[in-house]
This record gives sequence, C-alpha cells and structure tokens, in this order.
Amino acid sequence: MRGSILGNLTVAVLLSSGCYGGLTAEDNAASGGTDGVDDGDGGDGNDDGDDDGDDEAEGGVDEGSNPEELPAPNTRFYRLTHAQWENTVRDLLQLTDVTGFSVEFRPDAEESGYIYANNAQATEVDSALWAGYQRAATSTATLAIVTDPSIMDTIVTTPGDPEAFIRDFGRRAFRRSLTDAEVAVYMGAWSDAPSYYTDSVGFEAGVRLTLESMLQSPMFLYRIEASEGEAGGVIPLSDYEVASRLSYFLWDSMPDDELLDAAAADMLGEYEGVAEQAARMLDNPKAANAVEQFHYALHNVKHFESAAPNAAIYPDAPADLGLLAQEEHSRFVQDVIFEQNGSYIDLLTSNETFVNAETAALYGLDASNYGPEFEKATLDASQRRGIFTQLGFLVSNATGVQPDPIHRGVFMVKRIACGQIPAPPDNVPDLPAAEGQTNREAIVALTEQPGSDCSGCHSTVINPWGFPFENYDSTGAWRDLDNGFTVDPATNVVLGGVEVPVANALELIDVMVTSDEVHNCYADNWVQFANGRPRAAEDGPLIQRLAGLSKEDNSVKDVLIELVTSRPFRARSTQEVD
Amino acid sequence: MKISRRHVLRGAGGVAVTLPFLEGLAPREAKAAEGERPFAIFFRQANGVASAQNTEVGNEPERFWPTQLGALTEATMGGRAVGELVDFADKLLIVRNCNMNNYDFGDGHARGAMQGLVARGAAVAGAGGSSEASGESIDHRIGRELNPDGRDSLFMYAGSSGGWLGGPCISYRGSADRRSALHNPATSYQTMMGVDAEEFGELIARQKSVNDLVRDQMDTLLASSKLSGLDKTRLELHRAAIRDLESSLSCNLEQDAEMELDGMSAGYDSDDGIQVLNAARAHMKVAALAVSCGYTRSVAIQVGSGNDGSTRYENLGSGGLMENYHFLSHRRSSHDSSGAVIANSDVLHSYVDIQFARAFNFLLEELDQYLMPNGDSALNNGVAIWYNDNGNGPGHSPNNIPYVIGGSACGYFKQGQNVELSDGGANHRKMLQTIGTAVGLTTNGGPLDDFGDPGLDGGILDELLA
Repeated sequence: MRGSILGNLTVAVLLSSGCYGGLTAEDNAASGGTDGVDDGDGGDGNDDGDDDGDDEAEGGVDEGSNPEELPAPNTRFYRLTHAQWENTVRDLLQLTDVTGFSVEFRPDAEESGYIYANNAQATEVDSALWAGYQRAATSTATLAIVTDPSIMDTIVTTPGDPEAFIRDFGRRAFRRSLTDAEVAVYMGAWSDAPSYYTDSVGFEAGVRLTLESMLQSPMFLYRIEASEGEAGGVIPLSDYEVASRLSYFLWDSMPDDELLDAAAADMLGEYEGVAEQAARMLDNPKAANAVEQFHYALHNVKHFESAAPNAAIYPDAPADLGLLAQEEHSRFVQDVIFEQNGSYIDLLTSNETFVNAETAALYGLDASNYGPEFEKATLDASQRRGIFTQLGFLVSNATGVQPDPIHRGVFMVKRIACGQIPAPPDNVPDLPAAEGQTNREAIVALTEQPGSDCSGCHSTVINPWGFPFENYDSTGAWRDLDNGFTVDPATNVVLGGVEVPVANALELIDVMVTSDEVHNCYADNWVQFANGRPRAAEDGPLIQRLAGLSKEDNSVKDVLIELVTSRPFRARSTQEVD
Repeated sequence: MKISRRHVLRGAGGVAVTLPFLEGLAPREAKAAEGERPFAIFFRQANGVASAQNTEVGNEPERFWPTQLGALTEATMGGRAVGELVDFADKLLIVRNCNMNNYDFGDGHARGAMQGLVARGAAVAGAGGSSEASGESIDHRIGRELNPDGRDSLFMYAGSSGGWLGGPCISYRGSADRRSALHNPATSYQTMMGVDAEEFGELIARQKSVNDLVRDQMDTLLASSKLSGLDKTRLELHRAAIRDLESSLSCNLEQDAEMELDGMSAGYDSDDGIQVLNAARAHMKVAALAVSCGYTRSVAIQVGSGNDGSTRYENLGSGGLMENYHFLSHRRSSHDSSGAVIANSDVLHSYVDIQFARAFNFLLEELDQYLMPNGDSALNNGVAIWYNDNGNGPGHSPNNIPYVIGGSACGYFKQGQNVELSDGGANHRKMLQTIGTAVGLTTNGGPLDDFGDPGLDGGILDELLA
C-alpha cells in the first residue's frame, strides 16, 4: 500500500569517498537547511489537507511548507520554451493538436550541462528567434482566421464585440487580466486592422491583428513574475503567477480557464487551493507531457538512439533497437506514474515493462506471442528489476561488442546518485587485450591499477556502479557467460557513506531503493526542472523533504503536489539574480 | 579557379538591388581602409586532423598538411587533405604552428571548442562537459561592432542536436553566455531574408504596427527599476532583435536556389555525415549570400557537437558510413580509450578531413561566385576560415591548430602560401586578433588588441599580412 505524505525529513548521511561528490552536509549548511531533523510542519501521517494549521507559517506564504525552505534567486522572465509555445498556442486556440509552426524557431542553447530544455536564465530572444516568432504569429493568425475559420468561431465568445474579445483572449494569452490601458492599446490597433489585410475585413481583421500582435507580445512570450511585496523573507507570487508556475510545470502549457478562475478568486495563495488544482491537473492527460519530458532528459533517452550492436555478433538484434527502447521507456514511465499511480521506487523495481515482437526475445520472452505493437509484459524477476534493467539504459551504454561498465557506472553515479566525477586524465593508457579474460577483467586491468590516476575514481565509484550490469550484453539481453567465462557482477558500492556488497544489478537496485542519495537525486532533478535552473544551495531543505517522501514510497504524483505547494514554488527570492 | 556562374543579388520581385555599403571598394593596404566592409566566415571542425604522429595505431604518416612550406601548388597540396582545395591554391593561406593555450577545461574538446573563437579559458575551471567559455567570441564581436544596426551575426550548426557540450558551443555573447545556433539552414535563410518577397507589401505596414506595439511593451518592462542585471541584458537583446522588415529584404535567393537549399538542408539534425555536410553546405550558401548582401559581417558554422561524437562520415574507400568521428579520432571504439582499436583509423580520420576540405571548397566556390559592386568576388573581399578545435586526433593537442584561410579580406592576408608561425607560444589569441583586424575591428584606432585573454601575448601576426 502506498505510503501517505509525511512531512518528516529523512536523515541524509552523505559521505564522500574521495572521488564522489554528491549533496553534502556543507551544501545543506550553506543553504540554511536543517540538520536532518524535521522541525518544520511535522505532519501527522495523514494527508488530510489541513496541514496542521499555523505552525511555522509566516506572512505571505501559508502553512504547508517548511519555512526553512527558501526560493533561490532566478529570472523574473521565463521565456516559453519552444514546446511550451506550441502547447500554449494549441490551448489558446483550443486546437486538438499543436500547429508545428515552432519548427522554424532556432533551438535554444544547452548551457553548463543543465539537462532540461527549460533553462530560464539561458533562454533568450535574439534576432533569429524573433524572426521565427514573427512568422509563427502570422501563420497562426492566418490559420485561425483564413484557413480554418471555425477556430475564430471558437475563440470569439462574444461576436461583434472587440473589447470583449481583447479582454477574454488577452486574459488567456497573457495569463492574467489585461489592464484598461492595455485594452485601449489593442482597441486602437483594431481600428486599423482592415487596412493591413487583403483577405480579411471588419471584425475578422481585428481578431486577426489582435491574435498576431498578442503572440508577439513579451507578455505572451514570457511568463513574467512581477510581484514585489516582501513577506516572511520571501516575495509571495500573485495568484496568477502561481497559476502559470503550476501550469507550465505540470502541463508545459498555459493555465486553463478553471485555473485562471481560481487565480482570479484568490484561491492560489493557500496550500489547499494549490494542492487541489495540482491534483486536478495531474489527473489531466496534459500532465503526461511534462512527466515524459522530465524522464526523457533525466534518463538521456535521446541517447538510446546510439545503440548499435555489432551485427556480426548480434545478428538478431533489431535494426532500430534504440527507437524501440525509447518507446518502451515512454510507455513504462507513463504506466507506472499515471496508470499505477506509482512511486520512484516502482520505477526502480517494477519487473513489468512493454515489449513487442522485436524486443521480446531480448527479455527471454517468446517473440511469437507478440506483434508489432507494444504490450505490457512481466519479466523474469530473477533477471530484471526496474528501469535500469530495461533495454534503453543498457543498450545506450554499450559498445557494439560489449557492455560498457564505465559509462553505465558514470551515468548511474552522475544522473541517479547526483555524484560528481572529475574528468579523466589526458593520457589514458591502452586497454589490455581482451583475449582470455572477461570484459570486467579487462576494465579492471585498465582502470584499477593501484596508485594509478584512474584508480581513485574507477575502483571505488565508477566501476562498482557499472559492473553489476555485466549480466546484460550490448543488446540488453541477459548473459551468464562473457568470452567463455562466468560473468562476475558482484561489487561493493558506496552509498550513504557505507560500503555495501551487492551480488548483482538486482541487489544494487535494492540498495538504491533505500538510499537517501538516490531519492535526493531524483528530488533534486524535479526541483531543477520545476524551477528551470540548476540546483542552488537554497534548494537543500526542499530536496531533502521531497526525497524523504519518495523514499517512503509516496507516489510521484504526490511528491509533485508537495513540490508545488512548497514555499519555494509559491514565492520568489528577495534577491534578484545577477 | 572555377567560376562557373555568378549570382546576381535580387530584391523583392526579383529586381536586382543595390548594395550601398559595398560600393566604393578600393584596393586595400595593410588594414581595413575607410569604406571597405570585409567579412569573416568561420568553419569549425572538431577532433583534430590526421597529421603525422605516433599513436597506438603506429607511426601515422602526414595526411593533412601540405608537403612543404612556401608556395601552395598542386605538388605541395596533392595527396593531402588540403589537396581538395587546390583549385583555390592562389587564394589560400595555410598556417602552421598556431597554438591555443592549455587552459583547464577538464576536457580537451571543451578546451578547443570553447577557446576556439574566444581565446579565453573556462568560466569554471575543470568542468569538463559542463564547461562554458569565459568571454565573447570573435564572430560575435565582429557582428556587434560592425554589423548594420548592431544586427546579430549568424551562428549556424549542422549535426545531431545535443551531444557533448550541448551541441552548438563555439559562439558566445560574453562569459558563460552561449549563443543559440541556427540549426535548419532553411531557418537560417528565412532569418536573414525576413519575409517572402511576395508578401512584402502587405506585411510591411502591419509588422511595423505590431513592432511599435511590442517595442512599447518592451520599453515598459525595461523601465522597471527592479530588473536584475541578467533580465535587463536579456530584455535588451530581445528589444534589439525587433526589426522592421525593410532592413533585410535585399537578401534572397532565386526560386531554383531556394529549392536547392531545401534539398540540401534535409539532414541538418542527422548523424549521417553525408547529410550533415550537405546541411553545412546549405548553411554556407546562406552565409555567402548573407555576407555578400551585407546582412552580416561574420558567420560561424559549427559541424557536430563538442566532440562530434555521433556523426558517422562516409568511408571514402569502401563507401558506407564509418564509426562515429569521435571514436575514429581516438582510434578506438569508445569515447575514451577503453574500446578496441579501430583498424586503419588514421586513414579513416583523414577521410573525415577530406570531406571537410570538400565542404570548405564549396564555401570558397560560393563566395567566388558572388560578383560584388566593385567588380571583384566576395571571396576577395573577405575571408573564410576553416579551423579545428584540436591539433590532432588521439592527443587532441592544443598546438598546431589547423588554420586554412581562404580569401584575402581585400588584400590584407598573404595568398597562395603555407606559412609556419615563428612564435612558438600560445599565439592563438593573436590569430583571432589578426582576423578581427582584417575585417575592420580596431583598438584605439589601431589593430585589434583587446580581444581574448589579456594574460596572453597580444598583438597581431604580422607574418600573415600581405
């Protein structure tokens, strides 16, 4: 049975091994975080929404969050990502699908190793993107007014009333009510509209110009947080600003009418109001999009495409193995989080997945039982346990010939345990000949020579996270033998400062499930994704609280509700970002 | 020299347009003279070249550089990757012994890619794949100071998105302020052209109305006293990007050329090296048009991510695609040294070099085909620079970075020569300052001398000047 949401923090003891560098006690202290003891709202073990009332709440941000959880400085101008632009236009025009006009936007830069596409401080509007916005706005207006006039009929709720349209459409486009001055500006432009078009007249021309103009407005292109008033050491966001944070985090799109109405009714300044809306939004299919994006980036699913097992060694491997693995990953994540209301532990441990006729055999299943479409399947529990024993991670961290325990280990340490590994030295020695030994033995010979530059990281950090997966070959299939020798997947992995022996990948995953570091890392990534920025020192207390909830097997959806009802999510820092 | 055809720049409705700022070009002296508007196009390759070296593959012979210093001829270029450029031998300056500084980026690819156009170290030392450069890149500096109305220079990228160092990673507005690249060449073209000429009449008035409204909104936002420095910079960039349409309408291709561009662009996000280099050529077509019609004074074209780690180029010996370029450059089937040795990988690496040389040759041909108002070719008015992040393959050395310069920038650079720089230190900053000076950047009225890391030797490389 799924655990209920508890506010108590888990003591996270994170020790370093000399190479490893995860979330440290220093980080926590620097952030003004806790010492591992939850002195916040406590929680009574029941997620009853009352949140224990008025304990530590301070002005502007109500109960429901630890007052030691503080927002970090960030931009006030969150430019829509290209996906958000598409989703927002879709919802603004009430279309069934995105327009695709953003295909002409130049992509945003990926900076400083931040893995998500929503780096708020790095997204900018240069002349190339501006030109793209111009074209897309023109195309969108043409679509709505000329190509498919039914769209105009849908978005115009009071035909013949320009001001009503400007106020109504503007409220949805700018995600807040327009000021009278803003309405006046758009009304002024409306009267000139017919002179700008050869194929639109009268009211239609006004709607078209308004649409075109608003889609190029900074009020549309940026999610702006203009709130100023300080209370309780933070700047509480307005209800409309909270609504936008919610919708762009959980839906990757604009607020719907219900959310805007809740903002207009001042219902998003309290824990209950936000929690209620978040729960509703997570039940909407649009939430799947954001959750998919998050895990796609975290698990480097794009990299699955690189899978290329050597055809001479693996003649039966599907030619499009990487793409198939991507499909499997997507279906699995959606199923666990939304269909099963599952937890991160479920993602780590489930031995169910989705296969088709091409991938079934790689899991030891009878391919003849499957067709081209993916179906849910239960895998051999003695061989498979969770997402890291599925194809994607395994095949994308393998050479064409052998598993790649070094890159499997690096991925697990950096992405799943949030450890840091220094870059390898410039002059890496050659790999010894593979003949007469296992892949593991060759790697050990290369990287674990006592006293070598490599040994410090490889022997205690990287290799122990990679070797347990030696039972999975370059196609992700199970193997007991390597080069004619018995596979040895046993290692000692350091987690929580304690060296723990693990016999294989399944035992490693069992250790991960109980690891503060692993749950901290998952929570850390969600906080980064929610904020659109890399981790900041201030994030420590919130990360630890969310990690505790994850470790207690709360569902991912419940953890996300705790995130969006937290003090940092509903407020901004009193400090501006440099 | 191949001059098979020459483009005539066309404006709206296909009417030939005047290029005011290109008029009055005159024979130049040692530095940019008044009224001249030379340009620079940077073409970046990753992972070093297949030069002579001793690796685990064995003693690899020279496969890249000319056989000797001095005059570039068919004899000195033949049999080497640069031999693909022999038709332009008299327009080339090939430079040896250009050395980057050995900054601590924690990774040889980051060190080369991010220093390449910046000549500075890392914003945060030792960050490896999370590195950022700590200053403005030369292509951006040229655009910022010399482009009409401060218009952004063009930064283009061909190859699979993402990857090492996040994909596009060579062009910077400032420290840790990486520029976004134009990925689809068709978008590059549209960005420059602005609007379909047939729609021009209707759009111009409407877009001006919209722009005025948006500018007012931007000005209101910018007037806030609460803006952080970061937000102010971002909004100012946005405000400056709002341009009325008439400023860019002189740059468009004829219909058949547009169709050709579309066809070449198809594989811009591919791992297939043939398609990637076709997309690079498409970017080059746009770049040549852009510098010829005065849209920008600089362009940077990057092929592949920080280590070009996913592109598989063509095997010129057997056909088909080779192992990914990064593996080849390491001579092993791994992104480090843990994989198996790839047989003949030095030869395979040279195949990559040859394909980049052919792509660069295409750029030179494009530039040579534009007839400028002074009666000379675009190639003679500017410079196209093919350079690399590293000096060689497995070592990924910061030394002896290949620099192949096509065009003279109106007579500024030597031509038809293979020279070796006499300064054996970290002289890469000087190289970029020399190029900057060639296209018109100055410091206090003299040659550019305030670019890059001030801790490195300043000045320019006089031995490259005509």
